Amino acid sequence: MDGVTAVTFQSLLYRFSAWLVLAFVVGPLVVIVWVAFFANAIIAFPPSGYTLGWFVRAWQSDAFREGFLLSLKVGIVASIASLLLGIPASVAISRHAFPGREAISTILLAPIVVPGIVGGAALYIALLAFELATGIQIAGTIWGLLVAHTLIAIPWTVRLVTASLLRVNRSIEEAAVNLGATPLVAFRRVTLPAIRPGLVAAVLLSFVVSFIDLEKSLFLVGPGQTTLPIAILNYLEWNLDPTIAAVATVQIGLIAVALWLADRAVGLTRIF
Amino acid sequence: MQAPADIAPPVVAGHQPRRRRTHRSLAPLLAGPGVLFVVVFLLLPLGLMLRYSLNRFVPGELMEVALTAGNYVRFLHDPFYQSVLWTTLWISAVSTATCAIAGFPVAFYLARTAGPRLKPVLMMAVVLPLLMGNSVRTAAWMVLLGSHGVIAGIVGWIVPGVRIELMYTPAAVVIGLVSVLLPFMIITVQSTLENADRSVEEAAASLGAPPYRVLFRIVLPLCLPGLLAGIVLCFVLAMNAYATPVLLGGPQMHMMAPTVYEQIAKAMNWPFGAALAFILMAVTLVLTVASNVLVQRRFRKWTG
Repeated sequence: MDGVTAVTFQSLLYRFSAWLVLAFVVGPLVVIVWVAFFANAIIAFPPSGYTLGWFVRAWQSDAFREGFLLSLKVGIVASIASLLLGIPASVAISRHAFPGREAISTILLAPIVVPGIVGGAALYIALLAFELATGIQIAGTIWGLLVAHTLIAIPWTVRLVTASLLRVNRSIEEAAVNLGATPLVAFRRVTLPAIRPGLVAAVLLSFVVSFIDLEKSLFLVGPGQTTLPIAILNYLEWNLDPTIAAVATVQIGLIAVALWLADRAVGLTRIF
Repeated sequence: MQAPADIAPPVVAGHQPRRRRTHRSLAPLLAGPGVLFVVVFLLLPLGLMLRYSLNRFVPGELMEVALTAGNYVRFLHDPFYQSVLWTTLWISAVSTATCAIAGFPVAFYLARTAGPRLKPVLMMAVVLPLLMGNSVRTAAWMVLLGSHGVIAGIVGWIVPGVRIELMYTPAAVVIGLVSVLLPFMIITVQSTLENADRSVEEAAASLGAPPYRVLFRIVLPLCLPGLLAGIVLCFVLAMNAYATPVLLGGPQMHMMAPTVYEQIAKAMNWPFGAALAFILMAVTLVLTVASNVLVQRRFRKWTG
């Protein structure tokens, strides 16, 4: 259907429907960014004017400011933790033949397969049962969130790092070992630099999936320990004004930057 | 967000290592911490929850240790929870069907029509919204569907005097879900189309088949495995959706995932909430496994 073929009514209709569907996916995000700059407090189209005031307002709100900072903190720690747990596991999966390797990679990918609300409920119950038995509170503190978000990030890390490891030319590693490097030195000096783009993408993707998580965090947030998506959810149950659009715009901007960096490290469309 | 397990690059085996003996002893040590983490914080809690789902709820004091199927029986017999399951199933089915019908032209457009310059941009436009978070995307739909929203405005402009109320209706939930799930469908179908042999389409066309016949007799059968995988993925994600039914459906709309949350975190009825969670997960896993088996068995000879 290029220049050679005549543009028929059908092909126009087909192109139009494809673009319409794309607009349906992207449009809402464009609209919410637009609304963040509306001057009037009651959202109506078109706006009477534009302002940056809603961003100030959002930052002055304790729930949003603290939620943003908490999500940032949890996302950073969880993505680093998942990298520390995920790199060795990926090496085992991609470099070693051993019985039970299939089972191990299935277990490591399980947090993606089990529905978020089910995994979140199970973790919440287990942490409360632990609290009843020992008196140590984890659910409702930052530790519960860190555990849940590390769990969310592990499959993404393992998947990306394993894929990078499989693309590395093995003979270079073997040459290093043959020339007298210990396996650890060979890994640090040869393998690690070769998979650096994969590691960068893994950290960024882990951060993003942690930052946007809703279902698992839902059970584990507590008073004064609420992540940004949950703060948005709570606000939306009672209010709808450009403040929420400003908050959404900040989240969209932050994630867009993270994904842009990830895309520069490895092609982003390859991740899915 | 639930990520798509089915459309991810498979974790395949590496080469056979040369010095197997030393490596074999090292592998459990390397994978151990990560595996332990998932076992302790996901698999054991799931086991505990399964056990609790067989306990008996005692109002006022959490629960009583028992070995009863009462919670599952209650779910199947209580008209309220039957209607919750029924609402969840039909909303998911309608959303999935809409995704399949609306997603196919886009997938075809990306795989066959879009030029090399346009295609990466459009792919990003499909993938990026997936990772923006469901709370943000649902907030956007609340703005669009509200009584002063864009959609009401357009309808009022076309038909003056008509005021439509979309918020807190099943239609709003379906619209929100379709918008959230479409990218999964598009990517799954697009990747199957990318791998399908184009020469078959060209042969059919050059032998005189009109476009609609090429579409129904060649293209659709060829991308059926991808379409099926996309349908199962969308259905599973729709069944487990939380933010969309809560925010766009309002308090009168009861679907499975919000009900699990209410029972466990609000009503503190752990045995019943656990049973609900397991029914939800069972449906999810059965569908996922069945589709994987079906796709692999039935379509291997077609897709090569």
